[in-house]
Parts: sequence; structure tokens; C-alpha cells
Amino acid sequence: MRDRAAEALRSQVVGPLLIMLAVAAGVAISTDRFLLSQNLKNVGLQVAIVAIVAIGATIVILTAQIDLSSGSLVALTTVLLADLVKNAGLSVALAAVLMILMGAALGFVNGFFSSYGRIPSFIFTLGTLAIFRGLAFLDTGGTPIFSVSPQLDPVFYGELLGLPLPFLYVVVLYTLAWVYLTYTPRGRQIYAVGGNESAARLSGINVNRVRTEAFVIAGALAAVGGVLLTARLDSGSPNYGQGMELMAIASAVIGGASLFGGQGNVFATLFGAFTIVIVQNGLNLHAVPSAWQNITLGAIIALAVGVDMWRGDIARLIGRLWSRRRARAEAVVPETPGEDRVHSRP
Amino acid sequence: MAASQPLWELRSVGKSFPGVRALDDVSLALRAGETHALLGENGSGKSTLARILSGVHQPDAGEIVHRGEPVTLPGPQDAQRRGVATFHQEFSLVPELGVAENIYLGRLPVRRGVVDWEAVRRGAVEALARLDVAIDPDRKVGSLSVAEQQFVEIAKAISREMTLLILDEPTAALGPAEIERLHEVIRLLAGHGTGILYISHRLDEVFAIAEVVTVLKDGRLVDTRLRRETSVRDAVRMMIGSDLDEHFERSENAREHPRLEVRDVRTANRVDGVTFDVAEGEVLGLGGIAGAGRTEIARALFGVDRIVAGEVRVDGRRCSLRAPGDAIAAGIALVPENRKADGLFFNFDGPPNITIAGLDAVQIGPLLSLTRERRRARGLIRELGIDRRAEDRSVRFLSGGNQQKVMVARWLFAPTRVLILDEPTQGIDVAAKHEVYRVVDELTAKGIAIVLISSDFPELLAISDRIAVVRRGRIVHVAGHGELTEHELVELAAGGETREAA
Repeated sequence: MRDRAAEALRSQVVGPLLIMLAVAAGVAISTDRFLLSQNLKNVGLQVAIVAIVAIGATIVILTAQIDLSSGSLVALTTVLLADLVKNAGLSVALAAVLMILMGAALGFVNGFFSSYGRIPSFIFTLGTLAIFRGLAFLDTGGTPIFSVSPQLDPVFYGELLGLPLPFLYVVVLYTLAWVYLTYTPRGRQIYAVGGNESAARLSGINVNRVRTEAFVIAGALAAVGGVLLTARLDSGSPNYGQGMELMAIASAVIGGASLFGGQGNVFATLFGAFTIVIVQNGLNLHAVPSAWQNITLGAIIALAVGVDMWRGDIARLIGRLWSRRRARAEAVVPETPGEDRVHSRP
Repeated sequence: MAASQPLWELRSVGKSFPGVRALDDVSLALRAGETHALLGENGSGKSTLARILSGVHQPDAGEIVHRGEPVTLPGPQDAQRRGVATFHQEFSLVPELGVAENIYLGRLPVRRGVVDWEAVRRGAVEALARLDVAIDPDRKVGSLSVAEQQFVEIAKAISREMTLLILDEPTAALGPAEIERLHEVIRLLAGHGTGILYISHRLDEVFAIAEVVTVLKDGRLVDTRLRRETSVRDAVRMMIGSDLDEHFERSENAREHPRLEVRDVRTANRVDGVTFDVAEGEVLGLGGIAGAGRTEIARALFGVDRIVAGEVRVDGRRCSLRAPGDAIAAGIALVPENRKADGLFFNFDGPPNITIAGLDAVQIGPLLSLTRERRRARGLIRELGIDRRAEDRSVRFLSGGNQQKVMVARWLFAPTRVLILDEPTQGIDVAAKHEVYRVVDELTAKGIAIVLISSDFPELLAISDRIAVVRRGRIVHVAGHGELTEHELVELAAGGETREAA
């Protein structure tokens, strides 16, 4: 059995790992500053928050839904956390727990309306993308809150047994997510709902409930990301987390998760997140203006989703080119029009 | 047959799909002003023939002849250009648009660059007048009754120059009065010289309207006869054929104890007061034509359609069935008709497909034991003789018969007392069918009660301990094994002349 789980893991994770290594190699060749230990540490710290939000994106995508609101939820969390700690005088620990509960609650709202409420999640979370960020602006009147609390710094920059805390957060949360998806009945049901909704329903699965739960987890994890971002920057701002939802979704998709649902692996998502952050880091090291960074990131996301959508077509195209080449090599079968109607010929 | 030159002819036409010979050497002549009925069981090739005439499929062999001239119909537009109009079971109307616009959809007349709405309205009024129905051409189609929509569909067909009208199961959604109205329209059109090809399961109707009857069986032409020279009974005999060689040795597993008791169950979806019992180890076959309500009975028992009245008991315990989960908890399971769309998970290999409805059986505490899951699933894969590749490859790559057995394995894995099989042998080959019959036999030996829905009547008769005939959402007749001939079953299902049971 262990072989089998390991084998499945390998087959789904190796591709994204190779992509990540290829990108890293490209950046390392183009600039020798990439491999400096300080830079690598920066990459690691930068990846942590995106990677954690991307777990939620992966779980939602596995159920064949999408959550576009996570970046805004990150912003809302940073603002409220800063407000609660600095202005209301709550302890960091209590405020952080409240934020994660709020994230779960707002995730429930996303999940409830896009499953039981039958509003497509693409549209509903596009709405909450605007609403959550609007709420963040409402709380502070648009001004960031700086110098929140000295207690925040060790939450992100602290170390345990010589290991940076963000690294441990990532390891723990990814392991939990992997166990949840692979070894619990609910995890199995998440894959089933994404694979074939109708069959899932006729297997006795409460499809709406599974989907709602996926959004709750995604909301809680986005809030975790928000708490870490507040700790990292010692500030909260309604402008934080812009585009984070796209980076999270792109991480999942580069990691091989299918937007049609039912296919994907969290560890592959982690490599997807690394890939994106390494690209960004490379552009930074080359002092590429942020306008071009945005354009590059957008192109990568569009391409990754395109590859997912065209997967079948690409396979067919390769198959057709292959068979045509063979036909030409054998020089027996003349090319005929209407290739796709093969079955209608005798 | 009449001496006039046929309007349309098929000469020795053949057509194959991967793995199926859908039509084999079929010749047919359709004459102007004549209503020609096409009969045959499911899968006999009727619809393929209709699709060849309407340009959807291309024949592999033989030729299509229009007014004595061989023609090809590479696409539906080519058939339409030659005046072939098709009237389908499914509507092709756009509910948000008006009646007149729907009638001219896709060929709206244009004057000076804009749509000539005057002409559209005039043409629509004319077409509706020819049908003698009072439908406001400005109403939205979505606001019309199903029957009215059907007439709009016909108006759409006749508003263009038409030489041949093909009707494929036109009356599935109609009541008796509307069927009569439709038949008047058909007679009217035939009177104007249009050829009619009428495809239906309902023999009484066919015999009321057609002048010529052609019977297909397994893609071959059995015979073409004038209606007045044949009878419903002859037609049934031709549809079944005499070669009833589907022998199957079934064992008697039915016991006394009633497993499933259904009492006067009604739903908003066609089930209209259904009562029956199925005993431990018994196979109850539900026979009927498409649309009779058999699948809807299955949906009600499985908690998909809400039961508005009546009750269901399993082993004497009353069940509340609000969702499939409730049904599964009560021990009722369903293998749906469309196993690809509603049954299988192509993103999984065999074992997760088999265990999905009973994951608690492979849990250790809160976690799944993948080892135990694989071991138990592998046991079922061997027991049911499923292709061993199911153990570690996506079920997408299995044959239809193996896929079906994976579905059965799912419900053997979950604790099932009543198993509903909806068309379990549709689209699988003869050898695989026999495998499925063997599996059914094993299930009944374990005491599972089976409700079998099948449009393959010889199969239904061969493996059912009792047969309940369903018509218009009700059970109209129940007979024991061997008490009903296929002949009688077809007649009972179609609602033709009902013979007194022998």
C-alpha cells in the first residue's frame, strides 16, 4: 500500500517539481544573486503565505468550484487584526484565533451561497472579492495601520529548533491537508464531487455540504495567510493581498489541479507556489518594472489554465500529428479531409 | 406496392458504429402523400435510419435516392435543402423567443440588411393556420404548454418547402386529444403530397395513422407491409423475431420474506400510485415503453424525486427517503441507466469507485485504511470477474460490461438489501450481458431483492421472477415467471389490444 500511495504521489508531483526546478535553474543561470542564501531565505518567506492560501484554493478547485475572494479576505484579516490588537488592545493570540474563525465564517458564506444558493461560485466569490476588500476599507477609512505590536514579529520571524516558523507552518498545514484529502472519507468525497457531481449525489454524498466545507477551509486558511502577513509587515492595510487569489489559483493549476475538479494534489500545489514566487523573485533581481511583473504573472496564469483546458485537445493534436507522420512514412494512406469523422467511413 | 415513383428511397443502406452494425442492407421507399411507419425494438436501427435521411449520419454502404436520382446528404442543411424536415423527441425551440421568430430561426428573411419581421409574422400565421391551431405568433414559446410547443415545432417544419417529414416518437409528451390533433395534421400534410416517416413505440397509434409499416430488427429489414394486410400481432411477432435463443439458466432464489414493500407511492414526476412488493432474493422486472415512468419509480425509491404520498418499507421498517443518502442508509441502492454520467468516477481507478458509498467499512478511527480498501475492493473485482486492470487504472478504460460490474460491486461493498438496476445491459455486448445475468443470480442468492428495469423484453422475461408492467406511471399488470409471452408484454406495455391472460 505504501508503495501505491508513494507511486500516486510521485506521478502527480514529479511534473510540477521539474517545472519548479527548471524555472529555478533558469533564474539561477541568469543572475548569480538568486542562489545567495539571503535571497533563497527571502523566497522561502515569500512563498509561505501564498502557499498556505493555495491549500484552500486547491481544495475548492478539487470540488470543481473556485474561490476568487481569498486575496480580499487576506486584506480584511490584516486590517481587523491590526485594529483589534492596536486599538482594542486584544492579545495577538486571541485576535488571531478570532480572525481564523471569521475567515471560516466568511468561507461558509461563500460556500453556502454557491452550493445551496446555486449561485455559481465564480460569480459569487467575485462579489465577495469586492465586498471583503470594501469592508477592509470601511474599517480603517482606507488608511493602513502601522506599528501594530512588538508581539507580532516572532509570529513570523521566530524560529523553533533552528527552523524558521513559516517553514514549519507550511510543513504542518500541507501535511494536514494531504492527510485530510487522502486519508479521510470527507477528502475522498471532495475528489468524488469534483470528479462527477451526479455520481457523487447518487452515491449518497451530500454534495452541497462537501462544497460548503471546502469553502470554509479555504476561508480559514486565507485568514491564516492574513495573520502571517500582518505579522510579517507589522501592519494591516486594505491594499494588502491584491492578486493573492490569482497566485493561489495559479499555484494549484501549475501543480496540475484541474479546474474541472477531481484532480490535483496539495504537494504539487506547493511546487506551483514556489514556481510563481521564483519567477517573481527573478524579475525583481533583474529590476523588471512592476508593470511588467504583473503582465508576466498574468500571462503565466492564463497559460497554466489554458494548458489545463486544452489538455484533451493537445493530446489529440499530438496523436493526430503522430498518426499522420506514420501514415506519410508508410506512404499508403492518402490524407483525407474530415479526419474527425473516421468512424463514418467503412 | 404502389406504382408511382418513390419520393425518397434507401437502397441497401448500411451503417456501422464502433462495435455495432446499426443498419445492414436496408431498402425502403417513401412515397408522396403516404404515411410510412417504422417499427422496431430499442436499438433496432430506427433512429439511425431517420438520421441518415436527415443528413446527420452518412451511410457506409448503399445509396439514397431522391425522385429517382442518387444523392448524398453530407449534412443536415443538405437534407433540409431537399425538403426533409425532422421533428424530434427533444424540442429545438428557444423558450425566450416568440413563436414567429422560433419558426424562422436560423433563416430569418432579410430586407435591406434588416430582418423582415412583417414576412416572419405573415409566414408564421400562415403555417399555424395550416395546422388549424390558435396560437398567438407573438407569445414567448416558454409560456406555451408542451402540446402547443409541439405544434410550433411542426409549424417550423412545414413553413419551409417540405417533401418529407420525419417524426421520431412524436407523441411521447402528448395526451390522447393532442395525439388525435397531431394525426389530423399528418393526414392534412399527406393530403398535400408530403411523405411522412412515422417512428413510434406505440403500436395502437401506428396502426391508426400509417398506410405502410416497415419493421426493423437488429439493423435488418424484417418486412414492409401495407397496414391493411397486417395486424398488431404480426407486427409484434416481426419485431421480436422467432429466434429467441437468449437462453439463460436462472436459479430460484426468491423466498417468502418481503424485503421491499411499496405502497401507493406518488411523486410530482410521473409516478402515480405505485404498489408492489419484492421478496428476499426475488427479481421483480419492470416492463414498459420509454417514458412510462419506470426510471421515475427508481428515482422515487432512491430518494432523488420526493415522494408526495404513500410509503416504502425495507424489511418492515418504514423509510423516510429525502436524499440518496437516506435510501443507502435504508439499504436501497441504484445502478443508474447512464453509468458514465451518473455512476462512475473517471478520476478514480477501480477501488475508490467501489468503496465510495461505504467508506466507513474501511475506516480505522477517523482515517481510511487504503490497504484494507484495496484488499476488499480487489476481492470484489475477482469475485465478479471484473477486468483486473480495474485494480489500478481509471475505470474510463474499462469496457461497458466491466464498468457495469464495477457499479454492482459498489453496492455489494455497501450493505445493500434492495438493488435497483436501471437498464443494466444497455450498450454492452451479449457475452457481457450474460455476465451481468450471472451476477444478478449471485446477488439474489445472497438474499438481495432486485428491481430490474429493462427495455430488452426477452431479457426481462428471462431473468425476472415476476414482471410488473408500467404504463403512464402506474402498474397495469403483474405476472409470474413464464406467465407472460414477449408478445403479450409488448402489447401490454404499448397499450395496444390487450389479450386476456391465458
